[in-house]
Amino acid sequence: MNVGVAHSEVNPNTRVMNSRGIWLAYLLLTTALHVVLLSIPFLSVPVVWTLTNVIHNLAMYLFLHTVKGTPFETPDQGKARLLTHWEQMDYGVQFTASRKFLTISPIDTCEHKTCYFYTKYDTAHFVVNTGSLLSVLLPKLPQFHGVRLFGINKY
Amino acid sequence: MLLIYIFQLKTYQTFAPAYHLILEGILILWIIRLLFSKTYKLQERSDLTEKEKEELIEEWQPEPLVPLVPKDHPSLNYDVVTGPPSHRIIVNGKECINFASFNFLGLLDSERVKLKALSSLKKYGVGTCGPRGFYGTFDVHLELEERLAKFMRTEEAIIYSYGFATIASAIPAYSKRGDIVFVDEAACFSIQKGLQASRSFVKYFKHNDMEDLERLLKEQEIEDQKNPRKARVIRRFIVVEGLYINAADICPLPELVKLKYKYKVRIFLEESMSFGVLGEYGRGVTEHFGVNIDDIDLISANMENALASIGGFCCGRSFVIDHQRLSGQGYCFSASLPPMLASAAIEALNIMEEDPGIFRVLQDKCKHMHKALQGTPGLKTVGEPLTPALHLLLENSTGSRTNDLKLLRAIVDYSLDRQIALTLARYLDKEERFLPPPSIRVVVTVEQTQEEMEKAAQCIREAAVKILK
Repeated sequence: MNVGVAHSEVNPNTRVMNSRGIWLAYLLLTTALHVVLLSIPFLSVPVVWTLTNVIHNLAMYLFLHTVKGTPFETPDQGKARLLTHWEQMDYGVQFTASRKFLTISPIDTCEHKTCYFYTKYDTAHFVVNTGSLLSVLLPKLPQFHGVRLFGINKY
Repeated sequence: MLLIYIFQLKTYQTFAPAYHLILEGILILWIIRLLFSKTYKLQERSDLTEKEKEELIEEWQPEPLVPLVPKDHPSLNYDVVTGPPSHRIIVNGKECINFASFNFLGLLDSERVKLKALSSLKKYGVGTCGPRGFYGTFDVHLELEERLAKFMRTEEAIIYSYGFATIASAIPAYSKRGDIVFVDEAACFSIQKGLQASRSFVKYFKHNDMEDLERLLKEQEIEDQKNPRKARVIRRFIVVEGLYINAADICPLPELVKLKYKYKVRIFLEESMSFGVLGEYGRGVTEHFGVNIDDIDLISANMENALASIGGFCCGRSFVIDHQRLSGQGYCFSASLPPMLASAAIEALNIMEEDPGIFRVLQDKCKHMHKALQGTPGLKTVGEPLTPALHLLLENSTGSRTNDLKLLRAIVDYSLDRQIALTLARYLDKEERFLPPPSIRVVVTVEQTQEEMEKAAQCIREAAVKILK
């Protein structure tokens, strides 16, 4: 579903991650973030990589797993009012192409290079990076669909 | 990317602690599993196998086009009305006095209204060919909305093109899944459909029973205290009618407003029968009780009764009504009111504003009719003295609804023979939530004279004596 076309999609949030060009836009945005952080003079390279990882995961957690419902009114009388964007994607069908892409990308683009190469296997960096990665991978598991730990963010 | 990674790993192997490698191994396995497992797509269509198709075709039994119905089924014996349903109505070829149409103020036949409608027809044509948002808004619509808002003394009003769809669109615009609506049991069918469309939790309280409503509200309050985070997100509404069409009595509005402020619920008031009937200037049940109109969150009414037009309107604060301009399904996705009918409604409003004495006249006539129909043997009059449409129920029901309907229909036939047009109150029997008992609905209008009302009451009494003895 592309922007500006007429569609009969009840909840456009379900299809937004399948739209034309959004995967590329997401990769470009992460690269842009990384480049901006690299251009700050007093940060060393390992710190920049860790910072990219952490900020990317934080933003992903916020937009995909915290914010609930839709910013627009849907014709289905608020079926998705209590669902996060990740749970709304593809109407809750697991292991679709976008879901896989968004699961693999934080592992692949950030985690491998940062933890294991640029940070020179430093323990503190490792802990921070792995913690942040886990925070963004666990909610994506199908077992965590609709789960709200300790009642946080339930309503 | 993986190759580069493996190369780097080989080069920096001595630096990597064991736990690193284990974690990396797990992550690589995860990635591989994701990449090579089956990718699901949203099911666009579900294909049946040939065998399943054959099975379904085998077990299909054709139903008759016309199911068997008995010869005396009410749908096969209907009355035919020729001409407009004005004060004198021609039913089955006979001219009768109309005690059946909701033409409370007699505006259906008003010459002024008809002339205005004709001139509007010459100017605008017949239909608007579009919804309000897509070339379907004319100046008469805006003028009617302004006039209605001014008449009801609210900030804004919004017009719908079909009276049934007014409250049925207004309720789902505000109340969604997870919200709670407290409704009276005698709510009319359009309210029930609106509630069904809203997918909210509906809690019915006994008709006009404020203790029952308070009990329900208290239960909800206890639940809210157990789960305050959930309570903060759900909305609560009370939907009542000013003058109930099924039960012909008035809702206790002052108590409702008190409950509203005590339990923090919004009130939606449906004033189809009371608009143009109750109150000193015809503004409805809020004027009748002297309740401040700002206390009611939304007033919805249809213009098909007292105003003798088609369509409906909602009025209230701008903040509330503006929401319906994008969320009211009947407003956004239906063609707008034909401008001829909008002009007719404006002219009817003019008449109502110029001569507020007719409301007093109508109320007196209602009281008179109510008194005249009391004491009919075998029938009991259900309704307040002020209601223009009261119900006559059988005092002793025969036990089956069809037999009751047959008896009442006999009374109606007797009256039709004597030039009094009455009607049975009709419902969709299977669809109504709380099906009201069968009744004859007697409507009082401003155009009926004392003699005509006496004649009708006399006729009903004779019919009751003859048929129900």
